[in-house]
Amino acid sequence: MSDAASTVSMRSISQARSHRAPLSRDVVAAWLLTFPAILAYVLMVLLPLLGVLALAFTDYEFGASSFRWVGFENFADMPKDRTFMASIRNTVIYCLFVVPFSIGIALLLAILIEAGARGRAFFRAVFFLPVVSLTVAMATAWQYLLHPSIGPVNALLRTLGLGAPNWLGSSDWVMVSLGIIGVWENVGFNLVLFLAGLTAIPRELYAAAEVDGAKSAWSRFTLVTWPLLGPTLLFVMIITMTRSIRVFDTVQTLTQGGPNGASEVLLRTIYQEGFHYFKFGYSAAITLVFLAIVLVIMLVQTRLIDRHVHYG
Amino acid sequence: MAGISVTAITKSFGVTDVLKGVSLDVRKGEFVSLVGPSGCGKTTLMRIIAGLETATSGTVMIEGRDVTSIRAAERDVAMVFQNYALYPHLTVAQNLAVPLVMRRLSALQRAPFVGRFVGDAAAKLAAIAEETKRTSEMLGIGHLLARKPAQLSGGQRQRVALGRAIVRHPHVFLMDEPLSNLDAALRVQTRAEIVALHRRVGAATVYVTHDQSEAMTMSDRVAVMMGGEILQIASPEEIYLNPADIRVATFIGSPKMNVFPAEADETGAVSVDGVMIGIVSPTPGPVTFAVRPEDIVPATEGIPARITHMEFLGDCALLHAESIANKSPVICRIAPDQRPRASVGDEIRLRADPAKSFLFDAEGKRLRMMRTKAQAAYV
Repeated sequence: MSDAASTVSMRSISQARSHRAPLSRDVVAAWLLTFPAILAYVLMVLLPLLGVLALAFTDYEFGASSFRWVGFENFADMPKDRTFMASIRNTVIYCLFVVPFSIGIALLLAILIEAGARGRAFFRAVFFLPVVSLTVAMATAWQYLLHPSIGPVNALLRTLGLGAPNWLGSSDWVMVSLGIIGVWENVGFNLVLFLAGLTAIPRELYAAAEVDGAKSAWSRFTLVTWPLLGPTLLFVMIITMTRSIRVFDTVQTLTQGGPNGASEVLLRTIYQEGFHYFKFGYSAAITLVFLAIVLVIMLVQTRLIDRHVHYG
Repeated sequence: MAGISVTAITKSFGVTDVLKGVSLDVRKGEFVSLVGPSGCGKTTLMRIIAGLETATSGTVMIEGRDVTSIRAAERDVAMVFQNYALYPHLTVAQNLAVPLVMRRLSALQRAPFVGRFVGDAAAKLAAIAEETKRTSEMLGIGHLLARKPAQLSGGQRQRVALGRAIVRHPHVFLMDEPLSNLDAALRVQTRAEIVALHRRVGAATVYVTHDQSEAMTMSDRVAVMMGGEILQIASPEEIYLNPADIRVATFIGSPKMNVFPAEADETGAVSVDGVMIGIVSPTPGPVTFAVRPEDIVPATEGIPARITHMEFLGDCALLHAESIANKSPVICRIAPDQRPRASVGDEIRLRADPAKSFLFDAEGKRLRMMRTKAQAAYV
């Protein structure tokens, strides 16, 4: 309907122009009504994006009186920048840790909660809590939990006779710790999405699977649950991936990228270059790289949706 | 005993008794319909036979084996669901193959990618493909094997669901309102096809429907269910001509059977609205008199009634009236040329054929009635 309407209005606009007739009241009204949205879009999305794009090819620093066009110099500098390379590596490690674990755990929990007779709302609320709570505030709790000497986690490990790693303070463990916190943050959100996806599966399909001889829970899962969760799963993957590429607040509050750059991540590097060293040009270039990565992931996944998961 | 044997099944959900001691035997190769209004427990009974619900008490036997505590996957049953319940991500061929794959291949052989290289999986899969192809051709869906359910029409989906049920030659075939999602024309056509298919497969078949015409036209026997009980189970003719309960009498037949409150005097002679109707009840007191629309006609003598409406249907006409004294609604099905020369609002007399009338007691159970010679002459 909107397509038809827009075709009609486009035609009336072009007719109005080609006949050089005065613009009809409808056309004027249409443009007037659209104007605020256009203005907002241009001012708040398009111009900043173009600004970033332009800045990425300059050596502009905040407060500097002039800048120079440097072409692809900013991008050429990146492979030589150890902090940037470390942040790319850490972001990839973080994603590879958080995405599968938060999706797998959320799916398992969702199936268990869905199968349970009672307490569905309770468990949903409990696991969703990390999503609605402020990460910065919760980070304090994590800092205490993971404290090397007074933290309860290490106290427990010591009583079990296991080693007591310096969770946030050693470069070997810091990404693992951040990953665990990331999983904790994401599980609740994914869980709620999976629960919605599970409720949408018709009960009759499970009855049909049972009659067709699917005896084990595993065979019913592979025959019905997993394929019918396909669309939900893809959505959850995209959401989790973009959320974990954007990791920033836990890193900033708990480790500030430390120790010695061992937990430097992409978004924090952008932040540091831009707002700490005021290298706006370089920061903008990294932002473009970041956007490009997100875009590629989205494209690959939406292609997957079309090819494998789409059935109505 | 072969077939299905259900004994004294009860089912309660909390305090609600859905089934109150239902017993039912379906012989091998027999087609039995469970018919009744919605909420009468017919689908629950079927799901208990399938093993998808557990009965509160009672036993279910299939092919002489007590399966009461055996789960659906291990009973030898096949089922067609109301909404077909096809797997939307599988093609028609894959949908048809599921019951065979699940039963013949081990879990390892069903694993994606590597499964077909385990043991004799490839040979089994080839045999399954052959069988699904044969079944699909039998149902006239051979050309649809590569499609997904979303690309099929309602009738085609219904055939795939039937195919999935018969592909492994089950001993018990259950159908839960399989025609309710089809349009009227297709429904009548599919009825005949299902009956033909049933003859070919020869399985003990239970067919749940709320549509009495489906039950009457397709079944060897019809079980009329109401309020969690089977009121009567008999052949369609018997159900129609000899209902055991007033609820069966009024549920089966269209238009509905006419029902009049009546009174039997101390000799047993029954009167409706004070008019003797020529039949004798075995017991005196209040009774219910019932007669089918085709067995009551306008006459010079009989129950006084006022015409409320007339419908001409081509091969017959329906005369709607209301008895004067008790305001009981009456429908007469008469030949078009027998229509009275009267119009809406006029008073007429209606005479029931005593030989084709029924008497029920206060609980709705059928009373055997007698006809006196004198009254027969009177009527």
